[in-house]
Amino acid sequence: MRRLYSLLMGSMLMLMFQFAYAQQKTITGTVTDAKDGSLLPGVTVKAKGTAVGTVTGANGSYTINVPGNTNTLVFTFVGYGDQEVAIAGQSTINASLSTGNKELSEVVVVGYGTQSKRELTGSVAKVNAKEIENFPAPSFESAIQGKAAGVVIESGSGKVGQGMKIRIRGTSSISASSQPLYVIDGLPMQTQSQSDGNNEITNPVADLNPNDIESIEVLKDAAATAIYGARAANGVVLVTTKKGKAGQKTVVSLDMNTSWGKPTKKRHFLDAKQYVDLIEEAATNDGKIDFKNGDTGYDTEEDAIADYKSFYEGYLDQFALGTDWRNQAVNTNWENLLYRPVAHGNSVNLSASGGNEKTRFYASGYYNDQDAIVIVNRFKRYGGRLNLEHSATDRLSLGLNLSVSRSELIRVSDDNSFSTPGQLVAQVPISPTIDPETGKLNKRTLYDNGLVDAALNSDKQSTFRSIGNAYANYTFLPWLAFRSEFGADVMSFYQESFIGKEATDGGGVGKASNFSTQAVSYNTNNYFTITPSIGEHHKLSAVVGMSYLQNDNRSNALQGEQYPTDAIKNLTGATLITFGGSTNDRYNFLSYFGRANYAYKDKYLVSASVRTDGSSRFSANHRYGTFPAASVGWVASQEDFLKHSKVLSYLKIRASYGLTGNAEIGEYKYQSLYNVTNYPDLPGFVPVQLANPDLQWEKTSQADAGVEFGFFGGRLSGEVDVYSKKTTDLLLNVNVPSATGYSFITRNLGKMTNKGVELSLNSVNIDGAVRWTTSFNIAYNKNKITDLDGQIIESGEQRAVEGEAIGSFFLQKYLGVDPETGDALYEDKDGKQTTDYSQAARKVVGNSNPNFTGGLNNTVTYKGFDLGAFFTFVQGNEIFNRAGVYQSNSFGGAFDNQTTEILRRWQKPGDHTDIPRVSLSYPTGENVSSRWIYNGSYIRLKTLTLGYTLPKVVTSTLKISSARLYVSAYNLWTKTDYISDPEVNTAPLGVDSQTSQNISGGIDFYTIPQARQFLVGVNVKF
Amino acid sequence: MKLTRYISLGLLTGAILFAGCNKKLDVTPGQSITPDQIKTADDVKAILFGTYNSMQHYNAFGERYMMMADLLAAPGQVAFVGTFIDYRQVYTKSQLATGTIMSGIWGRSYIIINGANNVLERLDLIAEDERESIEGEAKFARGIAYYELVNYFGAPYSAPTGPNADAVPIRLKPVANDTYHDDQDKQPRNSVTEVYDQVIKDLTDAVAKLPEENENFRATKYAAEAFLSRVYLAQGKYVQAATAANDVIENSGLALTPTFDKAFNNVGNSTEDIFAIQQTSQSNAGTSNNGLSTFYSANDQKPGGRGDARVDTAGYNALFDGADDRKDFVYAGSSIGGVDGIYPGKWKNFYRAIPVVRLAEMYLTRAEANLRSGAAQVGTATPLEDVNTIRERANAAPWTSVTADQAVQERFRELAFEGDWLWTKKRLKMNVGSRAYDDPKLVFPVPQRERDIDENITQNPGY
Repeated sequence: MRRLYSLLMGSMLMLMFQFAYAQQKTITGTVTDAKDGSLLPGVTVKAKGTAVGTVTGANGSYTINVPGNTNTLVFTFVGYGDQEVAIAGQSTINASLSTGNKELSEVVVVGYGTQSKRELTGSVAKVNAKEIENFPAPSFESAIQGKAAGVVIESGSGKVGQGMKIRIRGTSSISASSQPLYVIDGLPMQTQSQSDGNNEITNPVADLNPNDIESIEVLKDAAATAIYGARAANGVVLVTTKKGKAGQKTVVSLDMNTSWGKPTKKRHFLDAKQYVDLIEEAATNDGKIDFKNGDTGYDTEEDAIADYKSFYEGYLDQFALGTDWRNQAVNTNWENLLYRPVAHGNSVNLSASGGNEKTRFYASGYYNDQDAIVIVNRFKRYGGRLNLEHSATDRLSLGLNLSVSRSELIRVSDDNSFSTPGQLVAQVPISPTIDPETGKLNKRTLYDNGLVDAALNSDKQSTFRSIGNAYANYTFLPWLAFRSEFGADVMSFYQESFIGKEATDGGGVGKASNFSTQAVSYNTNNYFTITPSIGEHHKLSAVVGMSYLQNDNRSNALQGEQYPTDAIKNLTGATLITFGGSTNDRYNFLSYFGRANYAYKDKYLVSASVRTDGSSRFSANHRYGTFPAASVGWVASQEDFLKHSKVLSYLKIRASYGLTGNAEIGEYKYQSLYNVTNYPDLPGFVPVQLANPDLQWEKTSQADAGVEFGFFGGRLSGEVDVYSKKTTDLLLNVNVPSATGYSFITRNLGKMTNKGVELSLNSVNIDGAVRWTTSFNIAYNKNKITDLDGQIIESGEQRAVEGEAIGSFFLQKYLGVDPETGDALYEDKDGKQTTDYSQAARKVVGNSNPNFTGGLNNTVTYKGFDLGAFFTFVQGNEIFNRAGVYQSNSFGGAFDNQTTEILRRWQKPGDHTDIPRVSLSYPTGENVSSRWIYNGSYIRLKTLTLGYTLPKVVTSTLKISSARLYVSAYNLWTKTDYISDPEVNTAPLGVDSQTSQNISGGIDFYTIPQARQFLVGVNVKF
Repeated sequence: MKLTRYISLGLLTGAILFAGCNKKLDVTPGQSITPDQIKTADDVKAILFGTYNSMQHYNAFGERYMMMADLLAAPGQVAFVGTFIDYRQVYTKSQLATGTIMSGIWGRSYIIINGANNVLERLDLIAEDERESIEGEAKFARGIAYYELVNYFGAPYSAPTGPNADAVPIRLKPVANDTYHDDQDKQPRNSVTEVYDQVIKDLTDAVAKLPEENENFRATKYAAEAFLSRVYLAQGKYVQAATAANDVIENSGLALTPTFDKAFNNVGNSTEDIFAIQQTSQSNAGTSNNGLSTFYSANDQKPGGRGDARVDTAGYNALFDGADDRKDFVYAGSSIGGVDGIYPGKWKNFYRAIPVVRLAEMYLTRAEANLRSGAAQVGTATPLEDVNTIRERANAAPWTSVTADQAVQERFRELAFEGDWLWTKKRLKMNVGSRAYDDPKLVFPVPQRERDIDENITQNPGY
């Protein structure tokens, strides 16, 4: 490969000499602001399709030498819409840029190139730098939630450093990953969690500094994604980092902010008095039932109640550790103890950018330290970036985008561990935190005290990440350019965890593990861009190229136990090694792609693309897949009958159809495999996997139709898309009889659809001294599993059901409480009420995926002030509180503290309520059912920001070019029916299969709610 | 024209890159092998050794083969005080067809069987001088796995309709071409008799072909013979049972450990282990959620288990009528849930060998079988001598006479917590708690997943 690559570069060099001396021409002009005609300095002027560019000077004028056959100049300026102007033989070209027109002339990044939004026939959502900057979440995806129609982002909990669930136009797979492909400056990014399998997944995307991002393009329909072929079925997220601009004075920008966070919402549990009262009530209830049934044979009901009381009070004595629980001597709010008093965050970002016609640069460094609202959990990152571009000649430009970062994540255990702080809420309020006998943390609590674990255990992950991409761009002819890119994403991950001798899981001896991974992905893209002139009314551009990606993952793991002391936490302190091993895995993709765009009179647009992918994930017979797409567009507003409309300034109708693939099933799935076994002294093999030589890509075909419009000169603009995605040949783990010695075979089986509508609107409501803009988007998606061939695929309370949407909750239906007895009622298989849980039938009782999602953003600027209010909403989903069977089950046989929901329990015959009687010995309604399903819809004020930019007079006296002070609030206000934060889903563990990650969602299990944060910051530019 | 030159150059570089990269798409798995890599005798033997690892699994001898029988047989010996729902359900006989314990035992048993079938399919790769013993060893593994399956998922052989009841599918070959075929890989359940016949066939073959001694605690002729004695005992074929047990006692060269406690918690086999599962700190049935020691070892031990399964002291102590080392082979501790109790000494320590068949059992089998057979005594020792051999080792007062039922009581004392109780009660039609020996809840349900895949798989009565 390397040898071949140098051969290719050699041929390139030869060509360079051949074309080094071609004709040039000089163009001059001025650039003005369309609104008031003022001159615009610092505007980038580029010959389209080349690296040749310059920047307008202080008087807004420019001079550029472009290769003889350049057709078009592109003008770009921050905050203004891009503009392309045909040269058409002119030597003077003046341009006027406008802010309002931005939507229409904007340039968007697409796979292997850029395109003007006007000529685009695919569906692409763009999010700009401004909307991502300074968002106090570690990973940039959080910042795009609600900003791109049809993109659903779930951060799941208020822990920091956690994995996120991202769905573009719905979930389109069951056993393969449904996460989108991320491409950073042309390099596919590794997004697989490297964390140990027994804790929740982490998010390698967080290694990217959000402040380095210039724009994010989300490719949604097949026309946009099919150029990424086999990896595009879940959509593609293209991230472009900031670049320096030629002729620009070097701008140094310093951004500092600090934040304070608290949980958005607490669940609220019983206090000591309420708890004791309800335990006494349970004793009364249980005594009455026992007496009525004659179970124990008490003489009177009073005797029975008294006996139950003394029995339960014996437990209360135990919990209270000798304190006077009858008078609430101890009233511990365990829920408060799981949170920090305040979660601090600090962030510093320093960047410099600038350059001249020869060399442009962007350099940055950052430091970010974020406490989670939950104790212990903390995420710290720092790193730097250098983006460099050099024009060696006016034909050849070379460049490098390089970022290095290091992150340190201190974790708590997963939501399902007794030791995790989230489960502290189960402890009873009469238990003291400090044991009065020992003076130390109470170890005699109902469940193992998570505070002890917080004090003794540690779990640290550190990641060193370097993402770099070097490229050369050579323009053979004005209409023919070649670009070669070579990039590497190198991730070095190291995890150390220690469990103290006296901790819950320490086994009395102390345990530790050590885990490290080197994940290296390298990728090369080589492609020609062809933009021939074929006459005045015709515009043709094409891309043809190839790409090769190879990913190597090497890891090793060690576990040990039996520590002499808690003081030494590394494995040298372990006197017994219980596990040691290393692994290596590889996958690769070899791809060829091509795309052609044609426009006739800027009105009629046609585009087609095709990609052929080969992957190591399939057998030689089914290794290659071809993924074509075609699209058409009609810019109706260019037609004579609309051209002069005062109202409708822009109208485009477009449609696309194409095929994309999914191969995210892990390695070697088509082969029969034997694993190594380690029986003492007898190393061996065990057959573990059935072969399927016919295994091939999961295919998603997608049809999309869209309308883009602009009214009143672009004051109101927007687009509507309707799509239908059909996934066939699902990569499914199909169960086989265990008698074969295997449990499943991976097959292409089953079908699924996602259909939806997306609308986004942008409007400039007031444009003057006061400028008020609004953007709004809403998306509707309906998923349906159309064929599973009778397979039953479950994950927890959820099940993939044929004819239903993925994410269905499949549970016994709870019908409330019998007003006479206080017993729980369920629906049986005939639809009748029953108090017998074993007769209750399981059925679909909800779904974790929303119908509608979207966002509403309002920005008002006046003089130096800017005010932004951004709302996000989801509608039509359900949340299942899985912890309800312990924390809201009317005691249901255990002493767990209860949420205050229980206060509206049934108490006496005739009470109408949805909460059954409290009981420890005769529990009712305590089993898993739809009782804990809640409406998950919400609308929340995600971000509220007020900023003030100092006036020029002040900044010039201070000798700085600009300064802005801002205060922001995140998750300030939420409207929801849910009892905790509605943005919730207990994170999947690393060992969980993709299947369970696709099927399950909307599960709350002692999950940490989201943070409400206040942030103060300053941005200074020099 | 220049254009054609660029295009041909592009195509050429593409072609060169293609030739280079296409080969790269053949990626060899890093930590697994593919069937085409199985080429030598050592490779085939490695598959055989893999079956030992499968036997060590918690779904087999590492925990559930023994512990589930004792939980089903409760109350009387074991008390379960843990919170794991699936275990509680077995303990209270309310287990469900969807339970993970049932699918776990069913699945793991067939993984052992599949390993053995793969070995038997490739015997031609083994040198002639070793071929027989490898065949015997694979058949031993397959035979004992089928025996556990028929015990758990089939009606008792002793019941009138037991032998004809559905048990489990018998599979004697691996899947064809290492892949699954819908048309030929679905099989109905065979009857209890058919499975018993297969077990006897495999074990008889194993007795004939296995060596008398084997390295690294691998199966021997006597291990197969000891299992054979269990099978015959279950069928009431007392002469055969006594003959098999007698051969082990007389010829295996094994001897009872000098004291009772020395038979347990050993590194490697004790002198009386006919067959035992080996464990080390790196190779074991589990330390946090699974494994015999995880459940049976008290939480305050160092290292401690969960202490979820402990001695049912009332029932256990009632087994004994006088001083007895076995009665005292317990210790006080507490469970992970903080409940104090008494724990059996047999599974106290982690990472130790798990006795699967001990010589002591052979003495008791020979004694009982001789007492019940009505035929000429097998072996030189009388049943009374055999029982007293076991009693004296435990420092219990020797008896002057013994009946078959007394020998059974001795068996309960000797083999408590080793998964024998339930099967002995079933074969002798003794009540299990308040339930009859053939109560449907004392047979596991067929895992629901098997029935979801193949509707021809029947369910056991009572589920």
